[in-house]
Amino acid sequence: MPEKSSLTSGEILSNCMVARDHFLMSLRLPLSFAAPLPGQFVMVRCDGPNGPLLARPLSVFGFERRQDHSVLELLYRVAGRGTALFSSLKPGEVLSVLGPLGRGFTVHADVRRIVVVAGGIGIAPLRYLIEEGYGRLPRPENRELRVYLGAGREELLAGRDRLSSACGLRICTDDGSLGYRGPVTGLLEEELCGFNTEDTVVYACGPAAMIRALARLLRDSPLRCEVSLEERMACGVGACLGCAVAVRNAAGKKEYRRVCHDGPVFDLKDIIE
Amino acid sequence: MIAKKETTGQTPPDLAVAVGGLVLKNPVMTASGTFGYGEEYAPYLDLNRLGAVVVKGLSLEPRLGNPPPRIIETPSGMLNAIGLQNVGVRAFLSEKLPFLMQFETAVIANIFGETPDEYRQVAHILSGADGVHALELNISCPNVKKGGVAFGADPEAAAEVTALVRAETDLPLIVKLTPNVADIAKIAIAVEEAGADCVSLINTLTGMSVDIERRIPHLANITGGLSGPAIKPVALRMVWQVVQAVKIPVIGMGGIMTAADALEFLIAGARAVQVGTASFVRPTAAVEVVDGISDYLVRHGIGSIGALIGSLDIGQPDADR
Repeated sequence: MPEKSSLTSGEILSNCMVARDHFLMSLRLPLSFAAPLPGQFVMVRCDGPNGPLLARPLSVFGFERRQDHSVLELLYRVAGRGTALFSSLKPGEVLSVLGPLGRGFTVHADVRRIVVVAGGIGIAPLRYLIEEGYGRLPRPENRELRVYLGAGREELLAGRDRLSSACGLRICTDDGSLGYRGPVTGLLEEELCGFNTEDTVVYACGPAAMIRALARLLRDSPLRCEVSLEERMACGVGACLGCAVAVRNAAGKKEYRRVCHDGPVFDLKDIIE
Repeated sequence: MIAKKETTGQTPPDLAVAVGGLVLKNPVMTASGTFGYGEEYAPYLDLNRLGAVVVKGLSLEPRLGNPPPRIIETPSGMLNAIGLQNVGVRAFLSEKLPFLMQFETAVIANIFGETPDEYRQVAHILSGADGVHALELNISCPNVKKGGVAFGADPEAAAEVTALVRAETDLPLIVKLTPNVADIAKIAIAVEEAGADCVSLINTLTGMSVDIERRIPHLANITGGLSGPAIKPVALRMVWQVVQAVKIPVIGMGGIMTAADALEFLIAGARAVQVGTASFVRPTAAVEVVDGISDYLVRHGIGSIGALIGSLDIGQPDADR
């Protein structure tokens, strides 16, 4: 069981642009804030008079315990009013932080090959999975880590400098400005035939079109694949039912689950397009 | 966990209120649909500190709800079109209610039906259960095709479903009203005459938002219900009007974010209040409202909340007012 979620405030330690429209923010949190599991997220809100009403869900990019505090890192893309406000904040300003929240990725200690598929800002929870979920397991030499990282063009690629050098990094850009020209799922498809499905697990996070392409690609494959989904949220704790995603339940029937509470990580095969 | 405030050297003010046969330790409830079944918020606040928890609307059978996207933020508020997704009344009793029964807080079941008889059946099932302290009849949901606001927008239909449920249950019966009508006081009078013990208002105001880049509605349901600070003045005006129109207690809600907001409703005559969207913004909001009301009473030397309720001073109203 994960440690308990809490509502706390976090002082901004740094908040820098790392790629066009992409910012990395680090927050100083009390030690009472539970260590997030890979794939969990936080609800962040600026309590000032000019901010939006609702908190914004952001995936955990990094987390570290220090002697008398913890540091939470959030990689985010400016996508609207809330994230635009975040990007304007300076060190010393304070945000409210609710979390850690949600059900994260499953870490398989015995798996031989880990394939990570990240579209744009989707790298945020996946980088924490790589570092926190797999980076601390013993005998890393027994595992191959392959990361497909895609973006529209080179200047939009964020987070790659924080990936461990042990990652087999495959960069994809839509315009070919760096690496493979085309979507991450295109390169994955080309390389998929060589995978031993028994020993491989796939993790993905990215825009809806990428998730749909991945679902088509892996439809008949026995590969295990977990995806982290994004949806607008009001509460983040499972109460408002605003962040619904259609899934097929154990009985094969369609139902709506909460991205915030039942996810954000889902089995790719359960998601109904 | 929020620690209880120490009121050193003073007797804490009496916050207890009687609301249509229901005695609550304080006038602050959580609004239906904004607090799940209570368990979602238990990590952040002590549920014992609330006057009542009103659970997500319950129907006879589980409901799938509307397709996403279901919510969008709007200036000082949000639109939602959840479509009353819920586990169904039976699963509520077996899976959700036992958790809430651990607390010394009243549990109010918000109920919904597509037909008057469905309301009656849900009321019947809940009336036989231990641990449900009152029913709140939802005749005001704007986001479902059948039922909901169809009953709440017409005085006769509202009275019919109220009378049917009244005959079925001895539990205190609250009827939740929609603001999407020309004269909310008319509906309030109709349900009072049909046997309601109190009315709660307002549910959300119907609204809409468009994504101009894609030229599509932000919500899959096209329209949704507006809540949050944006609706508070409208809610307060309607509560004030209904307080004048009926003898039964009125539960006020709509955009209450802080104790100051809640106090406006109480002064205007609401016997109790519900905190809704504020819980999304701050999980601790409802308890902060309780503490803030208590602090206010201490500051103003008012010993009991009863002395505050309906104390609005409108001077000498003339005939045109």
